[in-house]
Amino acid sequence: MTTVSADTGAAQQSTDDRAVITLRGVEKYFPIKEGALQRVVGHVRAVDGVSFEVRPGETLGLVGESGCGKTTLGRCISGLATPTGGEIYFRLSDSDAALLDEIDSIPESELTAEQRKEAARIDRHHGIHQLSGRAWRTYRRNCQVVFQDSFSSLNPRQLVKDIVGRPLRVYKESSGQDLTEKVVSLLESVGLGRQHLYRYPHQFSGGQRQRISIARALALDPEFIVLDEPTSALDVSVQAQILNLLHDLQKERGLTYLFISHDLGVVRLMSDRIAVMYLGKIAEHGTSNELFEDTRHPYTDALLAANPDISAEKSEMRGLHGTVPDPANPPEGCRFHTRCPVATPACGWEVDDAVAWLQTNETLLAGLTDVERRSNFDATLVFGDAATAGAVGDAMRNGDMPAPMKAALDDVSTDETKVHIRFSPVEPVELEDIGGGHLTACVLYTSRGTG
Amino acid sequence: MTVRADTSRELATRPLVASVRDLRVHFEAKAGRVHAVDGVSFEIRDGETLGLVGETGCGKSVTARSFIRLVPTPPGIYAGGEIDFWSTVARRTGVGPIDLLEIPHKEMLAIRGDRIAMIFQDPGKALNPALSIRSQMAEVFYQHRSEEILMSLGPDVPWIIRRAARQQSNSFESILLKMPPWRAKAAGLRKKVDELVAHALTETQIANPRKIMDSYPHELSGGMKQRVLIAQALACHPDLLIADEPTTALDVTIQARILELIAELQERLETSVLYISHDLSLVKEICDRVAVMYAGRIVETGTTEEIFSNPAHPYTRGLMAAVPSATHQRGKLAAIDGTVPELVDPPPSCRFNGRCPYAVDICRTVDPSDIDLGGGHEVACFIYETSLDSSVRPTRERRTS
Amino acid sequence: MVDVLAPETTTVQIDGPWVVRLRRLADVSRQVLSNPTTSAGLVIIILLLSLTVLAPVLTEPNVPNPYQMPRDWGARDAPPGTPGHLLGTTSTGGDVFYGVVWGARTSLRLSLIVVGVTVTVGTIVGSLAGFIGGKLDEMLMRAVDVLLAIPELIFALAIAAVLGPSFGNIIFALSVVFWVKYARIIRGQIIHVKQNEYVDAARITGDSKLNIFRKDVLPNSITPVIVQATLDMGGIVLTAATLSFIGLAEAGLAEWGVLVSDGQAGISAGKWWASTFPGLMVFLWALAFNLLGDGMRDVLDPRTEGR
Repeated sequence: MTTVSADTGAAQQSTDDRAVITLRGVEKYFPIKEGALQRVVGHVRAVDGVSFEVRPGETLGLVGESGCGKTTLGRCISGLATPTGGEIYFRLSDSDAALLDEIDSIPESELTAEQRKEAARIDRHHGIHQLSGRAWRTYRRNCQVVFQDSFSSLNPRQLVKDIVGRPLRVYKESSGQDLTEKVVSLLESVGLGRQHLYRYPHQFSGGQRQRISIARALALDPEFIVLDEPTSALDVSVQAQILNLLHDLQKERGLTYLFISHDLGVVRLMSDRIAVMYLGKIAEHGTSNELFEDTRHPYTDALLAANPDISAEKSEMRGLHGTVPDPANPPEGCRFHTRCPVATPACGWEVDDAVAWLQTNETLLAGLTDVERRSNFDATLVFGDAATAGAVGDAMRNGDMPAPMKAALDDVSTDETKVHIRFSPVEPVELEDIGGGHLTACVLYTSRGTG
Repeated sequence: MTVRADTSRELATRPLVASVRDLRVHFEAKAGRVHAVDGVSFEIRDGETLGLVGETGCGKSVTARSFIRLVPTPPGIYAGGEIDFWSTVARRTGVGPIDLLEIPHKEMLAIRGDRIAMIFQDPGKALNPALSIRSQMAEVFYQHRSEEILMSLGPDVPWIIRRAARQQSNSFESILLKMPPWRAKAAGLRKKVDELVAHALTETQIANPRKIMDSYPHELSGGMKQRVLIAQALACHPDLLIADEPTTALDVTIQARILELIAELQERLETSVLYISHDLSLVKEICDRVAVMYAGRIVETGTTEEIFSNPAHPYTRGLMAAVPSATHQRGKLAAIDGTVPELVDPPPSCRFNGRCPYAVDICRTVDPSDIDLGGGHEVACFIYETSLDSSVRPTRERRTS
Repeated sequence: MVDVLAPETTTVQIDGPWVVRLRRLADVSRQVLSNPTTSAGLVIIILLLSLTVLAPVLTEPNVPNPYQMPRDWGARDAPPGTPGHLLGTTSTGGDVFYGVVWGARTSLRLSLIVVGVTVTVGTIVGSLAGFIGGKLDEMLMRAVDVLLAIPELIFALAIAAVLGPSFGNIIFALSVVFWVKYARIIRGQIIHVKQNEYVDAARITGDSKLNIFRKDVLPNSITPVIVQATLDMGGIVLTAATLSFIGLAEAGLAEWGVLVSDGQAGISAGKWWASTFPGLMVFLWALAFNLLGDGMRDVLDPRTEGR
């Protein structure tokens, strides 16, 4: 069971009816600046509406490829970055969470004063970017991080004793000989020893440096640790040792982990529940078994198919075709549809997709001079000459445009050198519970889809 | 993409492309001599993909780079052994092999990029950020295919153009080439090379070769850059392609496509591939035969099927048990205790001794030699010596949790 | 990579923290001095420093102000080797040897003060800009850009000229002008170091911003400053000699630049010693610190140190 934190003052509520970390609609946008005056011309939507919770004692695996936003999300959760939208809560009780659900479902103008007060109270006491004083320190002590690069996460000019003992010193928990002994016991709990106290990081191997990082994270006996790709830079045999260590520590100390990784095998080994991220949003979220044996999102399928598996009998490695959308201007519908092998007409086809399809054909593309956009779904393509425009219009109507895209086209009309296209607009895709806490955003499985 | 279902017998009858015999590469360091590669022997046969797998520091990269003498020679020292290479021409005409470690530098320059090509781990670092893709790829053709290009330009090629194609123009000639009578001819030469470049790019399934040729490396994604590098490597249809962890820096969905590409190109161009990796699962997917390296030595060789179903060497077994797979349940892995030993002036002994659960006395004092287990499967481990008690051998269980 | 995980079977003597730190310093020093030219530079510096220490022993200090050249009106333009004047005398009877020896003291005082002030001011400004960032960074860096656009020598010259001929004013002028490059150097380093994850880790630990700056950012950013300071110890003397050569120091000062200037007129008449020996000293001083600084730069490159 989790240790009782001495800082809360009031009686520690039982850990059975609260989460450790709760995310509600978290967004992190980065401004794109251009020009001499650095005008903001757009935003990279690194994290674009993520919600989930991590319960005490469990491990949530966060999986995705580069650019999906998992590292940014990890930084927001650990307090290194501030979200631009939504909120992250620490030790939010289930009753408070239910309250927030209720408040969210009512439009702002219709809230009672009572409800507003409650919302403010919850934010003040649990929202990590609004905490102050003792509550902030409690959160800070109980949320630690282990980074991916063991070399750059340890100050090369500090001795191991100072690195691992620093949290204890900052919180004035101990000093002098007592501190040294505490550090030794931390080092021993990660498989190192007293002889390593007075050495510099560069004198250790990658695996040992990660052990030092872990010892530092454990110094204040935290409740929650964010592990950002802790073994990605390590050799296979060293990785196995470190993963086993993390496993044992979790059992002994009742730790809660957020395990961020791109390696599905590692994530399955370490996680109870897994969330798959793609382009800033969660694509699928469920228990490890559900995700691996009852996959309900084509992207998760693609990840599984692309991962070489040492225990697989037959080789079935498959990659993905198509391009990743621009994170500054993501599709309004499903973000994966540009590469999805089983996309449907309802997935949210847009003008950008038509242009991308044109780019696969050099002769047709060469004639394109301008795109007049009325919305993401409605635009006019302007060509250099009427012949090319005609050819493009034909290709769209009868030719080799992919079937789902073609079916989503409401209208294609040619007008001299211009081609007008209009797709059916779609609502943004939301995560939906398809049974027992298994969430997916794919229209194939949710109520939005076929039928 | 499926693993080629070749039996070991069929593989063994194919002609040799390369044969590494007792290769030793050492490095002079302050502490002594590091035996990075210490007696490595293996063969690569025509049309096969050989996987050289091992963890950091085992010497696989140094071995690969020795093929084209890319190891910097101070502090590196080629301390022994030979790398025999048979080009396709040599095989057809019955000429003997050349020793890649001994041939003069000029000959090595002619082979690099033409008969033996290499692609590296980080595509971002392998491309010159200041040159367009066109210029970088054109380089390969100017280096190795200048005579063919000149022939295709027709009979009356002025001397100045000939020199330009061979990259021998001096600064005066470069100015002349920009002036009217020669400008058109130079443009003709460039056009011809552009065609070759575009063709090479199309072979790697790039949809828009012209657009890519005009781009600079920073405008391309990681997967696209690696495609360009593969196109560049295979431009002259080499006999041997050495791939040093080409997909480590790429996302897993892009990785799968790149590997598909390499496999497809290999079949079409009939190239042999030496594939270096630390990732056992990857090697299982794409290689015909596998050689496992540890601490500067090869500990086990055999067909992929044989190695993965009957791993003999304790290190191979330990390594496989330590890889988490998607079918693993929540829990622990069987990890190998200890760490890789120092390779500075090592005494004769088995390098895995000290971490090996099956070690016996002789392992500490004598270098193990290769033992043939049949069907092309070899292992360098004393417990397989027929003279030793066979009860010492590991049983068939592969994974503990 | 030592097999550190092996259990220690005998009780091992564990070195304390200070032993380990000193040993690291010794290792780095050894590395720096392994290059013969760097060691040569250090040797010359030691010799020069001994000159400064032994000045009152080697020559009789002038009264009332030892930094003023003593005049032997009876022996003007005496060539080297004249009894009592080892290196000869100037056209006004100043002992060249005295000038050489006490000039070393002047140069040491000059370089310590100027380098001390410029490093301190530059580091403070650059640290504020780099660590705090944002608008403060922009403001400070624009100011730095403006200052750097003015040629350093001309700027110092102008200040010294306005304030009047005195070596003290030269020291002041150089201090005002030469701090700017340190600001840039350390700001660049700090921005680079801030990206390391150990700075994030320190924030996670909950440490205060000042402590993070003190323990994590500054120690890892300071090496280029140390290298530049070493090089400047040599360069500043050269610059000061230039300014005093053109007359911005008080006449008769025991300073190398002044001496070179004094002896200049006599060269065409064959009286080479009054300018040459002080000129040689300036050269040696600048050379020595350059050699040492370059040697340090090679070893202390933040990208390779510690590996």
